[in-house]
Amino acid sequence: MTLPDKISGRIWKLGDHVNTDILHPSSYFSLDEKRVREGLIEGMTRLGANFKTESPHEKLVIVAGQNFGCGSSRETSVRGLHNFGVKAIVAASFARIFFRSLTNLGVPAFECTEIQNQARNGELIDILTTEGFIELPKDRRFPFSPLDPHVKKILEAGGLIPYLQREREGEKDGI
Amino acid sequence: MLKGYTDKIIQKHSDGRKEGEYDAVDVDFVLLPDPTFALLLSELREMRGRIWNKEKVFVTVDHFSPPSTVERANIAKAVISFAEAEALPHQSVYQGICHQLLVEGPWLRPGMLILGADSHTTTAGALGCLATGMGSTDILYTLMTGKTWLKPPDPVRIDIKGKLPPYLMGKDIILDLLGRFGEGGFLYQALELNDHDGALPMDDRFAICNMVVEGGAKNGLFIPDKVTRKHLENRDGQIGDWGDYFDEKPLYPNRMEVDISSLHPKVALPHSPARVVDAEEIRGESIQQVFIGSCTGGRLRDLEMTARLLRKKKIASGMRLLISPASQKIYQEAIEKGYLQTILESGGVILNPSCGLCGGIDKGILAAGERCLSTSNRNFQGRMGDPSSSIYLASPATAAASSLAGRIIDPREVMP
Repeated sequence: MTLPDKISGRIWKLGDHVNTDILHPSSYFSLDEKRVREGLIEGMTRLGANFKTESPHEKLVIVAGQNFGCGSSRETSVRGLHNFGVKAIVAASFARIFFRSLTNLGVPAFECTEIQNQARNGELIDILTTEGFIELPKDRRFPFSPLDPHVKKILEAGGLIPYLQREREGEKDGI
Repeated sequence: MLKGYTDKIIQKHSDGRKEGEYDAVDVDFVLLPDPTFALLLSELREMRGRIWNKEKVFVTVDHFSPPSTVERANIAKAVISFAEAEALPHQSVYQGICHQLLVEGPWLRPGMLILGADSHTTTAGALGCLATGMGSTDILYTLMTGKTWLKPPDPVRIDIKGKLPPYLMGKDIILDLLGRFGEGGFLYQALELNDHDGALPMDDRFAICNMVVEGGAKNGLFIPDKVTRKHLENRDGQIGDWGDYFDEKPLYPNRMEVDISSLHPKVALPHSPARVVDAEEIRGESIQQVFIGSCTGGRLRDLEMTARLLRKKKIASGMRLLISPASQKIYQEAIEKGYLQTILESGGVILNPSCGLCGGIDKGILAAGERCLSTSNRNFQGRMGDPSSSIYLASPATAAASSLAGRIIDPREVMP
């Protein structure tokens, strides 16, 4: 099972309607992972997120507002976040292509409306995936909308392609 | 009770499997442009010979058209070699923007379910299809299986009433809707548009459906009518039978009406397609560049309107007017009809069909602090160049009129 019971990380906080052109500028579209990473750092700068990761291996959780990830379907932005150590995203709502791409790459996306006003950049966050709650320091607790069973199955498989492999194995077993 | 035509298309394409709120559906056609293809390069190489149905896939090189860097040249080469090795029957290199080529080709009919690896795949909804964009991994799943999982969106019925004034275009209608409902105003909804009086030409419908995604909609669909029928007749004479998709009348929970006869030309201000004002409200805003082209604003009616406004006039001194027809076919027709000659005489620069300008990929890149009035679909910060540059969005009529004035104006000021 690749959807852990608890996801923890440091918060990278963003606003409403964050589009993929600013998150990952198209001039950084590349097959070179280093260039994709540079694009994400440029995007962070443009978004005014003055947050620096403490180590390149630090686990991050993005907390954002409405319509997160609107715009282009270029999967580089999602792949970039994934490679950068983003373990989950919590937002008031997601743009539909971005939501699908996160799920397809095994990055869980949680909908929660109250947290954006409460969370601070750089604080620690715990997402209790089975209990359905998000915890911030000082005992602040917020429920998130339950994951759709289909979305959950993809995340548990580790993404859409491993999910497809499971579907095919299921067919072979005659299920 | 019928929930809407989008829902009906989903139900009729369902293979019977359901998980949570999602239905597994059969896909009729898939669009795969070069950047998305590039991200799937290793996966596609591995699955050689295993694409579910080659007849239902269309591969294009249109973003890097022609390539401007070595990396992009290598991507284009990989796309071309893959298409050749797989003997894909439908492929296009540098022939135009994928969303225009998709609707020019003989493949789509009302009632079909279409996926594309680009968000503006919604364009094809103008033909009465359920057409929507997805990321690379979703498209890979469909290439392997012929299927996808869809969560049926809530429908919103939009009744378009009245005659289209000569200065108004589809672009103004969609900007008006985005301005009223906001960037996420149609999140996960299906817009189902009914043009009561058949007032909107197909090119204007393409522009509207192209931009429904800027409001967060899953798709936009024009209910097929006499304009659709005429378009299909002119395209290849194969109208097809879509009766059983559109025979019932849905009971829409959400409806709205748009009276197009009273709308004014619109402009979206930087950096959001939903920050919309009437062109006359920002009259005089200075601009250095006008771009007329893209999958929203580079069709024949767009170039016809541009030529009508520019005829026997010169663009303002210091203005840069860049024109890029949406496809080679449109390019050819615009030459035959004399539109491009008129534009050249006025001082416009004609570029080849490509996604380059709109996406900040190549050509016409904006320098620090510059402002461009564009007929494309997105004006997000830095999309066309330097992060301190600004993009205003408007119809080709407003764009052409403003290129004459050297600043943003309402096209009615110079309309012949």
